[in-house]
Amino acid sequence: MPDVCLAARPSTYRPRHVVLRDGRGVTLRPIVEADAAAIVRAFEHLSDQSRYFRFMQHKKQLDGGALQRGVHPRPGHDFVFVATPAGARTVNIVGAAQYVLAAAGDRKTCEFAITVAEEWRGSGLAGTLLSSLVRRARYDGYQAMEGFVLAENVAMLALARRLKFKAEPIRGDATMLRVCRAL
Amino acid sequence: MEAIWLKSYPPGVPGEVDVHEFASLAEMLLSSCRRFDKLPAYSNMGVTLSFAELERASRDFAAFLQKGLGLPKGARVALMMPNLLQYPVALLGILRAGLVVVNVNPLYTVPELEHQLDDSGATAIVVLENVAHTLQATLLRNPKPNLAVITTEVGDMFPTLKRMLTNAVVKHVKHLVPAWKIEGATTFNAAVRAGHGQPLEDVPLNDRDTAFLQYTGGTTGVAKGAVLTHGNIMANVQQMGAWMARDLVEGKELFVCPLPLYHVYALTSSLVFMRIGAHTVLVTNPRDMDAYIRELKKYRFTIIIGVNTLYRALLDAPAFADVDTRALKLTSAGGMAIQRVVAERWKLRTGVTIVEGYGLTETSPVVISSPLNLAEWTGAIGLPVPSTQATILDESGHELAIGEVGEICVRGPQVTPGYWHRPDENEKAFTRDGWFRTGDLGCMDERGYFRITDRKKDMIVVSGFKVFPNQIEDVVAMHPGVAEVAAIGEPDDKSGEVVKIVVVKKDAALTEQALLAHCREHLTGYKVPKIVEFRVEPLPKSNLGKILRRELRKVGHVNKATSPPPVARA
Repeated sequence: MPDVCLAARPSTYRPRHVVLRDGRGVTLRPIVEADAAAIVRAFEHLSDQSRYFRFMQHKKQLDGGALQRGVHPRPGHDFVFVATPAGARTVNIVGAAQYVLAAAGDRKTCEFAITVAEEWRGSGLAGTLLSSLVRRARYDGYQAMEGFVLAENVAMLALARRLKFKAEPIRGDATMLRVCRAL
Repeated sequence: MEAIWLKSYPPGVPGEVDVHEFASLAEMLLSSCRRFDKLPAYSNMGVTLSFAELERASRDFAAFLQKGLGLPKGARVALMMPNLLQYPVALLGILRAGLVVVNVNPLYTVPELEHQLDDSGATAIVVLENVAHTLQATLLRNPKPNLAVITTEVGDMFPTLKRMLTNAVVKHVKHLVPAWKIEGATTFNAAVRAGHGQPLEDVPLNDRDTAFLQYTGGTTGVAKGAVLTHGNIMANVQQMGAWMARDLVEGKELFVCPLPLYHVYALTSSLVFMRIGAHTVLVTNPRDMDAYIRELKKYRFTIIIGVNTLYRALLDAPAFADVDTRALKLTSAGGMAIQRVVAERWKLRTGVTIVEGYGLTETSPVVISSPLNLAEWTGAIGLPVPSTQATILDESGHELAIGEVGEICVRGPQVTPGYWHRPDENEKAFTRDGWFRTGDLGCMDERGYFRITDRKKDMIVVSGFKVFPNQIEDVVAMHPGVAEVAAIGEPDDKSGEVVKIVVVKKDAALTEQALLAHCREHLTGYKVPKIVEFRVEPLPKSNLGKILRRELRKVGHVNKATSPPPVARA
């Protein structure tokens, strides 16, 4: 089956400087292979709750395969933004957002996930990442975006709602919601 | 939401209760001690403490804490013991000294106790010798030179001969006291004796002062302390009293308490009945069904509390047929949903309908309850109790109409002001309008009855005790032979749910026995998985690595079609 959203289009993205709600600045750019070590460091600094919200299970470390897939997004299918503080001398990833082709099977929908470092919560970074992700997925030809959010992750649900996602219950699992929107 | 439930209240139940009758919980309980002074207050293993004796012993213990240990108002004192006469003495003593009770499950393992002592910052602990070895191991790992340790033996409140005999049997015949040694520990009886000669300063307390740090699990696996103020507990005592104790006679009732007082449901229930001068019979180990039934046969009890598992076990025990229940007026249940079959069998056997309380540790605990005049089991959790608002909110915090399913949210004087040192958890637990999110999904009907349809929090309820999957997964994942694990609840006739783990091995030689032995080192008994499933393929995940628990629960949900999901109750 041909890929609807396959990228004949270039997947380049020029790094962008963003001033957040709290006045701090970050650079938003696509992930590169060399970010792997910084991603591992960022994961290690996440609280247990942030990890649980992201993976929905206890996770002490990132597994190698997932990490490699994360730093090698397939152009046109997947995309990963990372946010680094403006002016930082070493690579310090304070937020990441990604989408991949969803398991739904229609090849028009992507699944997203967002993670923000504890000390950057409330800065508006998650909103910046998600809205950038929405635009990028649209550019890649996706027609819908979905995400799985724990029902008690009220901050993420509120953010998704602000960005026009609808929350739907998942049959057979009230602990999780599916948020989705057309692109 | 309009308080339409008030129209369904049984005659005589007020819409509001006076939550300001007493300045503090200590004052409320002391007032009962003085009013009913000559009456029996608590009995355990055949020994009875009168209200006057409870008042005196608690005063002396309070004086010891205040003067002997120099604990200032607001200091936290941990209580780690089952139902024994020392418990009400220590509890009232701690409250009278202006201190805060931190209830600790005596079956906790070393890491669980360590977390609770660290998090609460307890500066004293009263611990039963039978579990003092756990405290010793905790202190070896994490020394606390400023922690005052007060140890007690099972028979400490018994008359001399019986005390010596009981303590000797527990130690040397039944071998229930593993060896322990804690430098500087003092005994409970020595503490009470020392306090006898010391003055007790009056500590001004009001309804906003903290009375309890009551620990409850969290989805990240770390237990958090719900702050319960004097006002919270007094309110729930008044609310539950107005709801279910109006047909009871002051100073004339006999209450059997087989549930542990360190659990909030038994704790507040016991205070409801203590308030009206009831004689409370403390059952130390209701799992010993023969001993429990022997105890029931000794008394013409009028009130009993329990959880579904315990009522079921009683009804199944042949010896229960000989128990005289003719004096029984009130049966109350909490912790987990009562199954229809249990409700109907109990009614048939005793003639009394089980009154169910629904709530959470954070709500002291009861917010919704089935009315006393309920003709038959309905499957609903009941009506909001007096001075309590309840509503159904959608994901955006908007109120839903009658019959629509959303999250059950509550407000009232019994609701915690928040978690101990956890502003992040407070943010999740309360809406901007001050509604407390219960984590249970349900709806309200046109008569004001609430019904639970599902659970939003990832949580397993085992015989009324909450188990959070992440804590189990954390422990299992520590085993070097485990590659991946997910813990889920599996429906169970006896305990409502049991913990099941689905494990992907890293080491092919890993056995179920080895894994369970590892779990028992780190987890209290009820949290230890009952079902272990090894699977070869990775756990089901979304394309971005999020665990899809519904795939693991599929079998459980087939069962759910015929029975309502076990829910978290008071």
